[in-house]
Amino acid sequence: MNSSQAERLAARDHLRRQGWIARRSEAFHHLPPPDLAHWLGGPSDDAGCDAPPLAGAGWTLHPLGDGGAHGVDARWLDALEPAQRAELLAGLPPPGDGEAAPFAWAHRALCRQGLRLRIAATPGRAAAPVVLELRHQPRQRAEAPLLVIDVDAGVHCVLLETHERSASDCAHPVTQNLHSHIQLGAGARLQHLRVVAPEAQDQIAHHLHATLAPDAHYAQALVATDSAYHLQRGTLQLRGRGARAQHAALLLLQGQQIDHQVHSDLQAPHSASAVESLALAQGGARAVSNAYTRIAAGADEADVRQRLSGIPLGGQPRLTLRPHLEILHDNVQAAHGATWGALPADALFYARQRGLDEASARALITEGMARAVLERGLDDSELLAQWLASGWLGRRMARQLQGPTGLTS
Amino acid sequence: MTPPDPLLQVRDLRVNVGERTVLRSVSLDVNAGSLVVLMGANGSGKSTLGLALAGHPAYHVLGGQALLAGQDLLAMPAHERARAGLFLSFQSPPDVPGVKNNLFIRTALNAQRESRGQEPLDAFDFLTSAKQAAKGLGLPEAMLGRPVNAGFSGGERKRNELLQLSLLQPRLALLDEIDSGMDVDGVRAVVEQVARLRAQGTAFIVVSHYLQMIEQLQPDAVLRLDQGCIAERGDVGLARHIAETGFASRTAPVGA
Repeated sequence: MNSSQAERLAARDHLRRQGWIARRSEAFHHLPPPDLAHWLGGPSDDAGCDAPPLAGAGWTLHPLGDGGAHGVDARWLDALEPAQRAELLAGLPPPGDGEAAPFAWAHRALCRQGLRLRIAATPGRAAAPVVLELRHQPRQRAEAPLLVIDVDAGVHCVLLETHERSASDCAHPVTQNLHSHIQLGAGARLQHLRVVAPEAQDQIAHHLHATLAPDAHYAQALVATDSAYHLQRGTLQLRGRGARAQHAALLLLQGQQIDHQVHSDLQAPHSASAVESLALAQGGARAVSNAYTRIAAGADEADVRQRLSGIPLGGQPRLTLRPHLEILHDNVQAAHGATWGALPADALFYARQRGLDEASARALITEGMARAVLERGLDDSELLAQWLASGWLGRRMARQLQGPTGLTS
Repeated sequence: MTPPDPLLQVRDLRVNVGERTVLRSVSLDVNAGSLVVLMGANGSGKSTLGLALAGHPAYHVLGGQALLAGQDLLAMPAHERARAGLFLSFQSPPDVPGVKNNLFIRTALNAQRESRGQEPLDAFDFLTSAKQAAKGLGLPEAMLGRPVNAGFSGGERKRNELLQLSLLQPRLALLDEIDSGMDVDGVRAVVEQVARLRAQGTAFIVVSHYLQMIEQLQPDAVLRLDQGCIAERGDVGLARHIAETGFASRTAPVGA
């Protein structure tokens, strides 16, 4: 036995002793995750999925635009090999004992590979952002991929991360427990567009942990579609003075479920956090959007915004919106709100008065609201504009709105 | 030779908003290419007339008739009224978050073109004409790429209404306080735009209290609305008189 095997067995043993996510768990009781056995895989899950080679390639990295991959050090590491596992996990926090810790232990038990990216400053190119695309395609029926991103002080990175696959690439449902760790140095900036579109029967749990040094800025726009189980959980730790985090999520549900959770921890003065979500749901979909923000003692002049909203597009979707603030300092600004309701009637009539029929007006305004959420999440992002221009969102929304319980039905 | 029928014929129109009867009886005719100014105190029903004719779901028509080029407006859903040629410039144009102005207008224009059996305009052709129209109205080109009315000033919203009017080229336009929030250049743009479209046959109903603009618009008629009825009919002299004496001193409605 080597140290990698020992660590994996120890993680399994921890789970055996401590158990899985409790049914009464505050964070998970609205949409309890599948049982532990699903996340540990079995002998049959060791087989790769029946995808062609590049469609089941795990992480692939694609430099975009003129910025290229200058300053990027990318290392694909084998977590079953002790030295590479040590390098992969170096500096990462232990799974701990929080509410989501069983997912982290299960990840340690199953993780087979990961990608470690370091984005460093390049002399003479300080002003130019590093623009990257990361694509992830599943490799196994049950897997626990890892992504670690270190952005050095003062570096600006723009990242498109996609998790898409088609049933024709791999006919088997996938169970995926992904953990991402992002560390931003002082003054670093990461604009992060994430698109996660699993197949209907997939079980997905993505855990993203970001830590921000002084004056670092992390902006994430997330597009997530529903599946048999889909968890998107973000933990944002603003450790340095003047750190800023913003997170905007667009949740598209056609009848299944998404559990969206964002925990922000403002630990330093003049830090700021903004969390926004919009769930567009139909049929019997079930969505949870849970924003929890803690302002620590001493986080003077911290600024917090939470805005959670949802719109039923047809059928009888159920949505739980949970804005939550814990404020341990006096001199702060905080605002939160949750809205579950219809499309704006004044905008709808305006569009109809210009000649759009009811269905077209609703579709135009619904897609507009979706775009607006993402644009607020990634201010003036050229990458987002390009992604929106690709038509992915328009096609996805058209398919959703034309569905059996969508607006145009 | 028999004069043509008026483009718009409204007869004994009665409208409720919620439980309240706002229009008690309104009748008016508007010919193609002509311009009628509608004046009246706050709450007299001016905006209600426009919104009711446009088919706003909160405005319930209790009775009466409204024909546009012989078509029964009141029997049509809102979008068909627009496609029939009715354009309403909103007193407070709403935001349409995330929908770019050029996409919004092109989608509307193509919906109207499609209903007339015309080919849709492609994005390039549309953008060329939209840029030209925006320039003529003093709107920065960049506003075509911004979400509809989001972050626009009051004057910019009104110019954006004018831009849509210019590109959609309706048969009848109801302009509800188009001058509010406009600077002097904006008001001049309104006057020029209206004159250009009138020459092409577009008819106008203009709600305004701004005498200088009313005079420049050279209206064919000025109507005073009071308590949901047409209380007075006249020419631009009536507008001047109202501007001098106000609404409070004038008599109650004398009939529809």
